[in-house]
Amino acid sequence: MTSKGILVTEEHASGQDAPEKDTTGTGIDTTVPHSARIWNYWLGGKDNYAVDREAGDQYRAIFPGITVVARSSRGFLTRAVRYLAGEAGVRQFLDIGTGLPTADNTHQVAQRVAPESKIVYVDNDPLVLAYARALLAGQPEGPIEYLDADIRNPEAILDAAAGLLDFKQPIALMLMGIMGHFPDEEAYPIVHRLQAGLPSGSYFALYDGADTNEAFAVAQQGYNDSGAVPYYLRSPARFEPFFEGLEMVEPGLVPVPLWRPDPDAEQVEVYSYCGVARKP
Amino acid sequence: MSTDDEPAADISGPTVPRMILGNQLHRFREAAGISPDRAGYEIRASRSKISRMENGRVGFKERDVADLLDLYGVTDDETRAVLMTLARQANAPGWWSKYGGDIMSDWFEEYLGLEAAASIIRAFELQFVHGLFQTEAYARAVTLLGNTAAPVEEVDRRVSLRLKRQDLLAGPRSPQVWAVLDEGALRRPVGGRQVMRGQLNRLIEVVDQRQVTIQVVPFDRGGHAAAGGSFTVLRFEDDDVPDVVYIEQLTSALYLDKREDVDHYLEVMNHLSTEALTPAQTKQFLAAIVKET
Repeated sequence: MTSKGILVTEEHASGQDAPEKDTTGTGIDTTVPHSARIWNYWLGGKDNYAVDREAGDQYRAIFPGITVVARSSRGFLTRAVRYLAGEAGVRQFLDIGTGLPTADNTHQVAQRVAPESKIVYVDNDPLVLAYARALLAGQPEGPIEYLDADIRNPEAILDAAAGLLDFKQPIALMLMGIMGHFPDEEAYPIVHRLQAGLPSGSYFALYDGADTNEAFAVAQQGYNDSGAVPYYLRSPARFEPFFEGLEMVEPGLVPVPLWRPDPDAEQVEVYSYCGVARKP
Repeated sequence: MSTDDEPAADISGPTVPRMILGNQLHRFREAAGISPDRAGYEIRASRSKISRMENGRVGFKERDVADLLDLYGVTDDETRAVLMTLARQANAPGWWSKYGGDIMSDWFEEYLGLEAAASIIRAFELQFVHGLFQTEAYARAVTLLGNTAAPVEEVDRRVSLRLKRQDLLAGPRSPQVWAVLDEGALRRPVGGRQVMRGQLNRLIEVVDQRQVTIQVVPFDRGGHAAAGGSFTVLRFEDDDVPDVVYIEQLTSALYLDKREDVDHYLEVMNHLSTEALTPAQTKQFLAAIVKET
């Protein structure tokens, strides 16, 4: 998943030497489905290619609920950020695994509540970074930064973020649908190392796909076999270690539609789990 | 050619009401379960005419709209009144019509309408600085390149049309403009070094506008994806309106909105955007080029 390092940027936070300039390609593989583009497709966006639409349609043929999962997961992001910027009073957001821009991006939700909110988006996908830099413009008083970094090196992300955020004030760490890309033994330490770097009073928000639906699991397996960067569904119990040592915000670890639903929310069944927690 | 007593549309032109009306017609047709062929037959037109209407690409005869609404079973007076008003707005001439048909072809008029209706404009420019960012002196120099024998009055009108387009960026519903410029477009001293320096300084100013992103592809980023030349991809707010690729040629222009075609250009544009310098690096790069110009 490492980016091919097309850019030797001042923002590069891999913690390694600047990569060789890539003159053979741009790190965009159009022959296999791409996670951010396929989500864009399921969400009704236009930034996807034929290979993504085919894979997206195949997925949907096996598990028609994926469109609802995609929309519902974005809905959780919106409600979580609204809660964090509102009730919890957080003004700094570290959003790792940004994805392609959509209707309600983290900074838009946060800055609607508190215009001074500062957002650092982190991704290592060259396409996502290009879109983010171009199209995610924030409020003038609440700047947005973009880090080209790989989550497998949490310390490099924290180091780079330290230059952009105030680590004496609470920070909301957001991992939205990204930890499924890693098996437990890799995922837990990454998350714990990121959390360890945050000041007391910080928050942590996560959602990922769960393995509680047969068709979802079959469709996901088919996707993983396509050559795309794989994504693994977890049992709900295996979400718990992500929140170890933190204080869960009500209602705890739940399927995404059940996390503080809007009063007029439609009743849907979604097999992704989420939670928000505070670091004591 | 318009006359002074015709109502002039605002800066956004007639394309926005066209798209809204087209979209409504599309929804009503689908809800009524009527095929494009059948709808076309009703108004003595082809299915492709229906598709162009529904995508907001053409004006509407009020009679056609009324006939289609009858066919789709839309009987509510209020709804019909709103749609008929849209049909009238969709036929109002754009602000550009007063610049005169002698300096503007139909295909460029269509582009101005689409540009003003777009929510995101992505452009790759190989030769020149993008029209939305040109200084007056630079715009004049570019105009003179193509119209060496034109009288001063005509050149003035052409230049003023170019500059008027830029009001789009100052307006309340400014699109996001994401331009990738080849280094050649910055090095070629159009209008001489002084004009070019002024133009480069303007670019350095516009990159700070929130709705503008500029990325340069330097000469040392080899063999980039757009070997074909300059093109623009227009994106519209409405999810149902497809992207339009615009390719200007010497005496005409190409508009592509079939998904396979758009895909190809979107892919090239994405390659260019990832290959180019980041916006922050571009700013430094521009500052360095000014010093060398």
